[in-house]
Amino acid sequence: MKIFDQIAMCLQNLSRRKVRTALTTMGVVIGTCAIVVMISLGVGLQKSQEAMLAQMGDLTKIEIYNYSGGAGGTSSVPNLDDSMIEQIAAYDHVDVITPVVQAEWGKINIQCGDYIYQDSIYGVYPEALEKLGYVLKEGKYPTGKEKDYTILFGENGPYSFYNPKNPEEWHDPSSGDPPVDIFSDDFTISVNAQDPEGNAKEPEKYDATVTGVLVGDWNKGYETVYGAFLSIDQLYKLYQEYDEFNGISSTSSSAFNPRKINYNRVYVKVTDMKYVDEVETKIKDLGYDTYSMETVRKPMQEQANKMMLILGSLGGISLLVAAMGITNTMIMSIYERTREIGIMKVLGCVIGDIRTVFLMEAGLIGFGGGVIGVILSFAISIVLNVLGGGGLGGLMGGYYYGGGGDAATQISVIPIWLVGLALVFSTLIGLVSGFSPANRAVKISALEAIKHE
Amino acid sequence: MEKTPFIEIRGLKKVYKLGKERVVALDDINLTIQRGEICCILGTSGSGKSTLLNMMAGLERPTKGKVLYSNKDVTRFDERRWALFRQKNIGFVFQSYNLMTGLSGVENVAMPLMFRGMDKDKRTRIAKEVLREVGLGNRMKHKPTQMSGGQQQRVGIARAFVTNPKIVFADEPTGNLDSKTTTEVMELMVNKSRENNQTFILVTHDNGIARYADRIVTIVDGKIVRDEKNESIARTREQIASDNAQEVRQQAAAEEETEVSAPIPADEAAANMSTEGAE
Repeated sequence: MKIFDQIAMCLQNLSRRKVRTALTTMGVVIGTCAIVVMISLGVGLQKSQEAMLAQMGDLTKIEIYNYSGGAGGTSSVPNLDDSMIEQIAAYDHVDVITPVVQAEWGKINIQCGDYIYQDSIYGVYPEALEKLGYVLKEGKYPTGKEKDYTILFGENGPYSFYNPKNPEEWHDPSSGDPPVDIFSDDFTISVNAQDPEGNAKEPEKYDATVTGVLVGDWNKGYETVYGAFLSIDQLYKLYQEYDEFNGISSTSSSAFNPRKINYNRVYVKVTDMKYVDEVETKIKDLGYDTYSMETVRKPMQEQANKMMLILGSLGGISLLVAAMGITNTMIMSIYERTREIGIMKVLGCVIGDIRTVFLMEAGLIGFGGGVIGVILSFAISIVLNVLGGGGLGGLMGGYYYGGGGDAATQISVIPIWLVGLALVFSTLIGLVSGFSPANRAVKISALEAIKHE
Repeated sequence: MEKTPFIEIRGLKKVYKLGKERVVALDDINLTIQRGEICCILGTSGSGKSTLLNMMAGLERPTKGKVLYSNKDVTRFDERRWALFRQKNIGFVFQSYNLMTGLSGVENVAMPLMFRGMDKDKRTRIAKEVLREVGLGNRMKHKPTQMSGGQQQRVGIARAFVTNPKIVFADEPTGNLDSKTTTEVMELMVNKSRENNQTFILVTHDNGIARYADRIVTIVDGKIVRDEKNESIARTREQIASDNAQEVRQQAAAEEETEVSAPIPADEAAANMSTEGAE
């Protein structure tokens, strides 16, 4: 038999019992719908959670806090020094790592004309800034290879310059220009005298280049808004000069000793969200405290997965019932068609063809039900998203960034893989349900069948 | 009749087990049938004649013995090979017609061709031609339920002959038909078989239709008790024809009588006409 004839026969058989075919298909439609809509709710929840977390911070960043840090830590935790950083950098999936050292206030000045910046100066690995997700607003990233002092400001850093002679002068970042123009003005950097009156000579002023400003993002930290970034080497050079200038001896407890560095804050960026847990666990095992969105994300995702599983199983049950419906329909169909099957066999229809026709019928019920079910699911999904804008997804994600109609707040999201999965699954259900009836049809004795009334 | 045997049955035996009892349906059947022969297997109900036919068509397996077609042993064919063998070589006419109720006359007739994988256009054309030959040119699109018994059996005959098989089996083909239709149907089948030099094997309990065969094999209790040339076939065709004509006349007369004695209302008669159609 030609495949075309098999299909024609299959369609003919299905259309001969329209009501039953429709009802059986309806079972599959409902089952598919249940699964797709339920899973789409789970996906929607997950999506809105992820969007929310992304708003809260970088999902692939791990922050290491070493509370025993500072000079001469006493705990058993190993020093978080350069060699330790190298060790962590060598871990799998670590994209970039940098210590973050905030300069002690008042040790260093950035100067531009009459204006001075003393707000928050950070020492980092400049080459790590871009990968850490600090976004440039203007200019370019420092490369870390510059000979001169090189500064990258947070978005409002230039507004933090103040005039010591006129402390009341205030530049509002939300309106008006900053007192300094980072691209045309000349900047210098210098250490501060510990006691300005007691020191005869002025500290030396070094030329500094400003490469650009970042986009301020409170979720990434204060430093992106009002901070200024220096390379960590340059920061330590200034520290040493500060000690020398102010006559602090190297044996003093407050003296800076590059050999005894113990960073108390290090940022690690991993290549993908899914590795955060692995890398974070390793770092924790070293004895450091860590913070990442993973600690928030993981329980949330587990919750979403659990919910998706529960919802999906509910849908699965209805599809299971539908599968029984298909089997039932096919068995009934065999009883009704026993005689026809017998005639076909006697007239020389090979059993493979009979089996194929039966499997096609069952598979078609499954596939057709799946297609209708998916279409219906999209309709339900749209209705849910329109009606329930302030519902589940809105509750989870909406309040954080004001809700609204953006994709992340949709309750129900049907990704393309879900469509494929639903179609494959429903067809498979049909085929599996039809398998035993089809074999039963094949085993019917032609002789018995043609006697069958 | 010194041709090579077309169908050869050797020592065929069939034993059914009914509970603990063993029923011998066929016992040591030996039979040779030639190409183009019209052979009647005559026997009462339970004589084993249908069992013999089933085994010749591969619908049942013999307990012992062999069936050979042109010296080829088909006894141990599996189900698939039998299906293909039937597809190519065998046509079937049943007592209860066994048409597909959901299909039209043409579709029913074209079905064996479909199993062979023939194109729809081609097989429909052939099926229509054969239907015309059996006198159903005007009923092609009708479903079996819209046809009389005689018409249904003509569809059945068309279906059996459409593949131009080497052998046609007919199992009590006229069992459900009146005598007038029986004559028409029998002549149709016999003539078609003769036209194409097809072997026609008729299984019946009816002596009356056995006379259409060249040869009558009588089975009693699973054994061949008589195997003879049909004596009546020695008579001329005209004689048979005149016999038939006489029968038809008698029947018509009888029908007229009933009509006279119990007149049928006009519309009912019309209804009968339409369902009886070409008969």
